[in-house]
Amino acid sequence: MRINRNKFGLVAALLLLTQVIWAQDYNNSSQLAQRLRGLASSSDAATLKSITKTAGGNDIWMLTLGTGDVDNKPAMVIVGGVEGAHLLGVEMATQFAEGILKDNLDALENTTFYVFPNMSPDATAQYFAKLKYQRSGNGRQTDDDRDGSINEDPFEDLNGDGLVTWMRVEDATGDWITHPADDRVMIKADKEKGEKGRYKIFTEGMDNDKDGSFNEDGEGGVHFRKNFTFEYPYFVPGSGEHSVSEKENRAMLDLLYTKWNVYGVFTFGPGNNLSTPWKYNRGGASKRVVTSILDGDAKLNKFASDAYNDALKLKDAPASGQQGGDFLQWAYFHFGRLSLGTPGWWAPTVKGDSTMTANKDKNPEVNYLRWAAQENIQDYFVEWTAMTHPDFPNQKVEVGGIAPFKMLNPPIAMVGDVAKKNTDFIVDLADMQANVKLMNLKSESVGKGMTRITVDVYNAGTLPTHTQMGARSRWLRPIRVEVKLSNGQEVISGRRIMTMSNIAGDDSQQISWLIKGKGSIEIEAGAPHAGTDNATVNLK
Amino acid sequence: MKRHITNLFAGLILVGLILPATSFAQSADEVFRAAGSPHDPKVNISFNRYYTAEGIAEITDKIAKAYPDLVKRVSIGKSYEGRDIWMLQVTNYKKGIADRKPAFYVDGNIHSNEIQGAEICLYTAWYLTENFGDVDYIREMLDDRIFYIVPTINPDARNNYMKEANTGSSPRSGMLPLDDDRDGLVDEDGLDDLDGDGSVTRMRRKSEYGDFIVDPLDPRKMIQIGPDDVVTAQRYEMLGSEGIDNDGDGRVNEDRPGVYDPNRDWAWKWQPDYIQRGALKYPFSAPENRAVADFALSRPNIAGAQSFHNSGGMILRGPGAEEDLATYNRADIRIYDAIGRKGQKMLPGYRYLTVYKDLYSVFGGELDWFYGSRGVYTFTNEIFSSFAYYKNPNAGRDQGYDFDKELLANDAFTPWASYNHPTYGEIEIGGFKKNFGRATPGFMLEEELHRNMAFALYHAHHMPKLSIDKVSEKDLSGGLKEVTVIIKNDRMMPTHASQDLKYKIERPDFVSISGVDVQAGMIVQDIDLGLSTEQKVNPAKMVLANIPGNSTVTLRWIVSGKGKYTITVDSAKGGLITK
Repeated sequence: MRINRNKFGLVAALLLLTQVIWAQDYNNSSQLAQRLRGLASSSDAATLKSITKTAGGNDIWMLTLGTGDVDNKPAMVIVGGVEGAHLLGVEMATQFAEGILKDNLDALENTTFYVFPNMSPDATAQYFAKLKYQRSGNGRQTDDDRDGSINEDPFEDLNGDGLVTWMRVEDATGDWITHPADDRVMIKADKEKGEKGRYKIFTEGMDNDKDGSFNEDGEGGVHFRKNFTFEYPYFVPGSGEHSVSEKENRAMLDLLYTKWNVYGVFTFGPGNNLSTPWKYNRGGASKRVVTSILDGDAKLNKFASDAYNDALKLKDAPASGQQGGDFLQWAYFHFGRLSLGTPGWWAPTVKGDSTMTANKDKNPEVNYLRWAAQENIQDYFVEWTAMTHPDFPNQKVEVGGIAPFKMLNPPIAMVGDVAKKNTDFIVDLADMQANVKLMNLKSESVGKGMTRITVDVYNAGTLPTHTQMGARSRWLRPIRVEVKLSNGQEVISGRRIMTMSNIAGDDSQQISWLIKGKGSIEIEAGAPHAGTDNATVNLK
Repeated sequence: MKRHITNLFAGLILVGLILPATSFAQSADEVFRAAGSPHDPKVNISFNRYYTAEGIAEITDKIAKAYPDLVKRVSIGKSYEGRDIWMLQVTNYKKGIADRKPAFYVDGNIHSNEIQGAEICLYTAWYLTENFGDVDYIREMLDDRIFYIVPTINPDARNNYMKEANTGSSPRSGMLPLDDDRDGLVDEDGLDDLDGDGSVTRMRRKSEYGDFIVDPLDPRKMIQIGPDDVVTAQRYEMLGSEGIDNDGDGRVNEDRPGVYDPNRDWAWKWQPDYIQRGALKYPFSAPENRAVADFALSRPNIAGAQSFHNSGGMILRGPGAEEDLATYNRADIRIYDAIGRKGQKMLPGYRYLTVYKDLYSVFGGELDWFYGSRGVYTFTNEIFSSFAYYKNPNAGRDQGYDFDKELLANDAFTPWASYNHPTYGEIEIGGFKKNFGRATPGFMLEEELHRNMAFALYHAHHMPKLSIDKVSEKDLSGGLKEVTVIIKNDRMMPTHASQDLKYKIERPDFVSISGVDVQAGMIVQDIDLGLSTEQKVNPAKMVLANIPGNSTVTLRWIVSGKGKYTITVDSAKGGLITK
C-alpha cells in the first residue's frame, strides 16, 4: 500500500510537470492522446479507450473516471470538442478529468464520470494546420453545395498570413457598413433606419468555380453537432446525408445507450442553457413532436442555472449557440437525461471610458477588440489591407478582420482558473444527484404466520431520479423495487416486483407487503442511474 | 441380353440422379403456354406456398445460377443473427452499363409476419428472367433498367414467425433483444404454443360470469352476449392469446423477442420511442435496415422503389406523418396519383391511400426515407384483404369462417380442444392458425404475386427513359456552327423529383459535347421565339437541374472546328446516353 502511495505521489508530480509543458497552447491530437494516456496510466481510477476512428483517421477518446462498480454507479457524461472551432471545450473537459483525479477523488465514491474530451478531432486539427480557419466538419469528403463536384471552391490565403479572415468589397449594392464605435467591425446596414450598405462581405478566397458563391465547398465534412436527431436539419452544408451518419456520432450513441447508469450530460460547447435556462413553452411541450423543455424539467434547469451563475459569476453571455441536430438538445429531448451546456468562457464586457464611442448595441466583436487590447492579446486582428482580386477587377477589395479562433478560445494561460470553477460546479452538481434509499423499514405480525412489511423508498438527493422527459423514455429504467423470497415464503398481498417512474428530490413513496412464511427476506430498490439500496428484514 | 438391360437400367438411374430436377419436368411436347406465364421455366418454383429464409436463399441461388447473364446475386449485409441479406440484381448485363441504368428497388417482409413480399420478389425475379427470351416488353425492360430485388429484409424474424409460437400478427419486430416491460430482464415472457399446433391461437374457459357463448350452428365461432340477451347455453370467458406467465410477474406474454418496429427506424423525420412507438436508438439501428440504406446511398441511379407489407389491400404513398405534408409537392403527387390509380385497376379490392391521412401518422418509415431523403418515388403495398375470398365487398364479418369451410377444407382453423393450464386450470384452446387472415391462402397466392409484380413493373416502366432525339446544325459566319440538341424523356418520371429539386438531393444532369471547340452554350426555352439562357461557365458541360417527365429539353452550342462530335447525357437517375 505504501509503495503505491509513493508511486502515486511521484506520478502526480510528473502529471503536474507534463501539464505545465503542455500548457503552452491548446493540445494537438498527439499531445492530447499522450496527456490522456498519462492520466490513465497514473491512476487506477482512470481508464482510456478509443471508441472509434473518424473518417480522418483520428481516435475518439473516452476516459472513464470511477472506482468500485464503475458501470453501476450513477454517472455523468462530460463532453468537449462538439464544435471544431472550440478548442477551449476540449481543454476544459480534459482539465475536468485532471481536476477529478488530483483534487476530487472522493467524488468517485458516489459518481462515475465518462469523459469524451474531443468529438471533432478532424476539425480541431485545423487550429494547428498551415492555413488556419475555424472548421466544424470532419474528414468526410462532402459536396457541400450539392453541385456535383467535391471541394471545388475552398478558402484561399490571399494575403499570405496563414489565416483565413474576411474580404470587404466596396460596392454600393452591398448590405454592409462599418460599426459606428469601431470601423474595423462590419455590420449589416439597418435599412429600416435609412442606412445604406456600402460593402459586400465574403470569407477570404476566390470564386474558383465561378458560381457566384465564395469558398462554399472546401475541406470538411460533416459537423458533429449538426448530425444528431433532434430538429435535424436536412441537406444543409455540414449535416450529412442523414442523421447519425458519422462514425463518431454513432459510436458515441452506441456507447451511451449501453450506460443505463447515466443521469446527466454536461457539454462544453456553443450551446448554453446555464447562463440562461431553457424556457417552458406550453405549445411546444404539448405537440406530438415535443420542441420545448417540459415544465418540471424547466424548473430543474433553472435550479442548475442559478447555481451556475452564482458559482461562476460570468455575466453578459452571448446568445446560446445551440442549433438543430446538436448534441446538447439531443441529450435531453431524445436521450431523456439532464442536459447542461456552456461555452465555458467569453470575453467579459469592457466598460468603455470617455475616449471610446459607446458600444450601444453591445456588438460582441467591438467588445472583443476592446478586451483584447486591454489584455494585450497577441495577433488578434488583421488590419484591413487593400489588394487586387481577380473576381473584382474594378473594385476596391480589402482583406482583414478578427483572426480565427480568437473570440472562442482565450489564451491558454487564462483557462486554468475558469476550468477549475467549471469542474467545481460539476462536482457540486454530482453531489446533489438522486440517491435511492430504503428508510423506516417496519415489520409487524399479522394473523397466523404473516408479516406486514412497510418501507419508504426515499430519494436522499436534491435532484429527481428522473427528468420528466426521461420518465417517458424506454432508455431510462424506472425505479425498481423487488422483494427477494426464499423457499416457503409467499407474497399474499402486494407486488413482488414493482416499478416507479420517478421520485423527486427529498421525496419518498411508501410501500407495504403482506408476506407469509418464516426466515428473512431481502428488499432491493433503485436504478443504475439513481442508486440502489437493499435491506434485510426478519419475518415474524 | 439381360446384362445389357441391367446395365442400361443402371445407367439410366445414374443419369436420372445426376440430371437436375428440371429434366423430370414435362417435355416441350407435353406443354401448352398459358397467356402471360413462362411455360417452360429453367427454374421450377411452387408459388402456392411460402419459403423460410433458407428457402429464399436457395431459390435466389437457383435463379442466379440459371441466368448468369441476367442476374447477379449479392449479400448486402448480415442480419442481427448473422444471416445474409440476399439481393438479386436483374438486368441484361450484355447491354449497356448495368449500374448506370435507371434502377428500381424492391423489397419485402420488413415486418416479419408480413411474408408475401418475399414471394412477390422471388416471383418478379423469376418472371423477368424466364420471360426475357420470349416477351419483347420484358426484354426491353431489362435492356433499359436494372432491378435491385431483396426478398426479405428481416430474415431472422421471418423464420421466427414461421417456426416459433406466433399469431398471424406477430412478431412483426426484428430479433434485437430489448427489455419491453423494463423489469431488468430481456425477452423473458414471450408467446407459447401450448397445444403444439404450430400457431398461437386463443384460450377460453367455461365460466358462469363469462361474456361469450359458442355459436350453436358453428362450434368454431364465439358469440358475445349483449346486455338484453337471455342466456341458457354454457358461458365462456376469453383469456387472450395462448400463453403462460413465464416470469411470474403477474403478466402474460409481456416481454417477447424484440419488441421494436423496423419500419420506424429510417432516417426521415425519425422520432424517438416516446413519440413514435417502436423506434430504436437512432436511425438505422437495426443492421438489416442499415444494409439497405447503405446500399441505396451507394446507388444514385435508383429512381423508383416498392416495398411489400400485409395486409389490408392497399397501395400506399406518403407522407407518413401529418407534420410532413410539405414534403410532397403537387407535381409529384400527380405522378403518384397516376401510378396509384392504375394500381387500383390492376389490383381489384386494393385502394390507393395516403399513410398519414387514411391510416395513422408514422415517423421514420422506410417509404418516407426513400422519398424524403433520396427523392425516389416509392409505394408500399399492403398485400391481401378479405375481399379476395368472395370478391364481394358486402360479404360480412364472418366470411372467413365460410371460406375456411367451403374452400380450404377446414385447414385454416384449429378446433377448440381441452387443455390443463397451470394458472387458469381447465381451459380450451383453438382458433384460426397463424397462416390465415393476413397471409394469402395457397391457391390464390400466384395471382396475388403476379398482380403486385405487374404493378411494380408499371411503376418501373415510368422511370425516366432518356434519348438524344434530334441533333441539327446551322452554319454561322466566321467558321462558327450552331448545334441544337433535343433531349427527350419518354416516361412520366422526371430525372429529379420535386423533393429532390427542393433540397438538391441528387446532382444535376450534365450534357456535354466533345470533339469540337465550344464558344458558347445555352438552354433554349423557346426555339421559335429564340428565348434562351446562356451558361457562362464551362459551356462544354451544360448543367441541367432536371429533365421533366414526358417532355423535352433543348440545348444549343456555338462551336468551331471540324470533325465529328459526341454528345453525352449524364444523369444519375436517367442514365448515361451517348450520340
